[in-house]
Amino acid sequence: MGLKAYLEKIEPNFEPGGKYEKWYALYEAAATIFYTPGHVNKAGTHVRDSIDLKRIMIMVWMATFPAMFFGMYNIGFQAQEAIAAGAGTLPDTWQAGLFSALGGDLTNSGTLGLMFYGACFWLPIYAVTFAVGGFWEVLFASVRKHEVNEGFFVTSVLFALTLPATIPLWQVALGITFGVVIAKEIFGGTGRNFLNPALSGRAFLYFAYPAQISGDRVWVAADGYSGATSLSEGASGSLNYADTNAWMDAFMGFIPGSAGEVSALAIMLGGLFIIYMRIASWRIVAGVALGVAFFATLLNLIGSDTNPMFAMPAHWHFVVGGLAFGMFFMATDPVSASFTNQGKWAYGFFIGFMTVLIRVLNPAFPEGVMLAILFANLWAPLFDYFVAQSNIKRRIARVG
Amino acid sequence: MSAKKESLGKTVGVVLAVCLVCSIIVSGAAVGLRDIQQTNAKKDKMSNILQAAGLLEQANGDILATYNEFVEQRFVDLSTGEFVEAPSDDYDMYKAAKEPDSSIKVENSNVGFQRRAEVASVYLVRDDAGDVSRVILPVHGSGLWDLMYGFLAVDSDGKTVRELIYYQQKETPGLGGEVQNPQWQAKWDGKKLYKDGDVALEVKKAAGEDNPYAVDALSGATLTSNGVNNTIQYWVGENGFGPFLKKQAWRS
Amino acid sequence: MADTKEMKKVLFGPILDSNPIALQILGICSALAITTKLETALVMSLALTSVVAFSNLFISLIRNQIPSSVRIIIQMTIIASLVIVVDQILKAYSYEVSKQLSVFVGLIITNCIVMGRAEAYAMKSPPLMSFLDGIGNGLGYSFVLIIVGIIKELFGFGTILGFEILPLIQNGGWYQANGLLILPFSSFFLIGGLVWVIRTIRPEQVEPKE
Repeated sequence: MGLKAYLEKIEPNFEPGGKYEKWYALYEAAATIFYTPGHVNKAGTHVRDSIDLKRIMIMVWMATFPAMFFGMYNIGFQAQEAIAAGAGTLPDTWQAGLFSALGGDLTNSGTLGLMFYGACFWLPIYAVTFAVGGFWEVLFASVRKHEVNEGFFVTSVLFALTLPATIPLWQVALGITFGVVIAKEIFGGTGRNFLNPALSGRAFLYFAYPAQISGDRVWVAADGYSGATSLSEGASGSLNYADTNAWMDAFMGFIPGSAGEVSALAIMLGGLFIIYMRIASWRIVAGVALGVAFFATLLNLIGSDTNPMFAMPAHWHFVVGGLAFGMFFMATDPVSASFTNQGKWAYGFFIGFMTVLIRVLNPAFPEGVMLAILFANLWAPLFDYFVAQSNIKRRIARVG
Repeated sequence: MSAKKESLGKTVGVVLAVCLVCSIIVSGAAVGLRDIQQTNAKKDKMSNILQAAGLLEQANGDILATYNEFVEQRFVDLSTGEFVEAPSDDYDMYKAAKEPDSSIKVENSNVGFQRRAEVASVYLVRDDAGDVSRVILPVHGSGLWDLMYGFLAVDSDGKTVRELIYYQQKETPGLGGEVQNPQWQAKWDGKKLYKDGDVALEVKKAAGEDNPYAVDALSGATLTSNGVNNTIQYWVGENGFGPFLKKQAWRS
Repeated sequence: MADTKEMKKVLFGPILDSNPIALQILGICSALAITTKLETALVMSLALTSVVAFSNLFISLIRNQIPSSVRIIIQMTIIASLVIVVDQILKAYSYEVSKQLSVFVGLIITNCIVMGRAEAYAMKSPPLMSFLDGIGNGLGYSFVLIIVGIIKELFGFGTILGFEILPLIQNGGWYQANGLLILPFSSFFLIGGLVWVIRTIRPEQVEPKE
């Protein structure tokens, strides 16, 4: 019996009145992984195209792969560097224990070994994100009798990629819980959330447990080692902007940072793919780039004696911190961004501008992408409103 | 509403009566409770000083008596480092810093305020034998969000730190707010202020427990730590209590 | 004179059925700011309850004398006087807490609950009932503040009223304090969650769909 026939055979059990009607959400989620659903969306703000939501989400998910695999490799690479330099020791955690138990030896690891070391740290984070977030998704879907939304596929991977390798797993669970329940489900689920759930979850952790997600001790999975991110080096003035080798390192991703955000190159590969597939809006990405370039250059020209961040040129802004990742994957979330074309430009520009503003001018937060995008999420409907209003005015003027 | 209530005379009368009764009650409360309130404010300051003196536990709630027994307030002319008479009965160095007549401009320091008083109050702590055991210096300087106010307790040798107690700050809870964490406060005990006559003590990352000239920065709070660093450097330096700590006027 | 049933309704109704914060969404500002620790929340609850109760009582006593053209000003005068008295008493007898509450005691003057009850209830009800209504609404306010205060202090500092419940990692325990709960805006989430819970228990409070 073919898979399709089997799925169709068991379907009545899950339909209203069937034995397992409560579990319809789970059945639906599993079945549509293999086959296009037999019904079409009737309502909802996310219907923009004939392509179905699940295919979109899986493509975005795959687009994160370059950043994800490079990120895992980089976790191993940074730890190996730190330990080789004698600045840190192998951490006394079960992740490192698992690595050793499976025959890994960090000091002699090649590319694959390093990636495996990273996987020992990052995959548990992702697994916890997926399990806990998935639990809430299914719970809400069952209680509210709607389907499990595939958006969570993307939310979970994006959330996990923005976390430092050393974050305690219970914090991961709390963060994704906040992201899914508070930022998404209480507003009605996928398509109705006005904030990006992955970023909301990360913002929760950022404010709740700042010591585990910021600073200079969390980014490298080696004990006793403090590896500042390039951004905090920039803020303290120890970054040499003229050093092209350092810039290349940052562009390729050989710098300490969250798993998914280090390599601007890998992010760009995935980002260009989803732009090519018309999933991410190139207008938003271009808007962000323009906003960063404009404001960073303006600040370069103004200059400052006391704040070395003023001098950071735009091409550095793009390769350090989470800007590249936020620009391609977070800002382009179609639900929480603006819908109109002009609105997308404004929304993107606003994110770029706010990111540089927070990075350079706010002493409390070294990184500004997360807060900038969440803030712009709130403004997105307003941009659309103005675009719509001006269109209406123009039409009235034309028609008379 | 009946017309009777709306006559002008009645309206004015009711308003006046309500105002009169209310003002009597308010001023009665303010005057009647003023003494207790002032004692409270004083006690609060005293308990901060006793904490810096390391006597808070010993005081065991009896703050007033302990303070009067062991602590003595004196005034220091910061430029000479000599004791002077109190400029006025209720002299407040933070208020004096705002008056051009009684303050000087802060130069070459990013401690975070523009003027400081010429005369500062210090607190001498005596042991049971009556000898000065600690000198408590009021210090303040900018943190991340706002000025932080504290007391620096120096050993009677004028060189060794005993305590640094912040009593008013608005730093981020959990990060910069940790300046009030007892474990961090404990790191200051025994640190040396000067090396070859220059201010040497600093707050820096990974300072190490054994380094007598450095205190570990607060993790995740670079700017607060820098603020503490600037505050200490300024106040024990030439423009702050430096001359006073060198002359050690409390010995005579 | 109202019967006991009516009095009970006036006194306890505002706790769940018509909670000033959770249903009417009044007095949010202070609920956000001073609930970081249970102690301040308790003192603030007490201060607000006494202000509402006595302002209701006094306004009700002279309600037939108040000319309607200046009634708001007279209400304000009475409320403001009570607030100053409460503030003075706190400064005298609970200095530490009043330092933490800082301006928020003074801001009770602008707390919508106080003005709202004075205008909506005390202006047309007898003194005893007005007094009870004030206490009732104060209890409703306190109910929310205390719950939020307990959650914030327990998970933000690991303590309740200063007693250690969850030993913090910094002090050698196992609990990692949640810094978000120390920030005032986390009360938005908590009050929102509370509204959700209350409306699940009392579905009639849910507004009809537009």
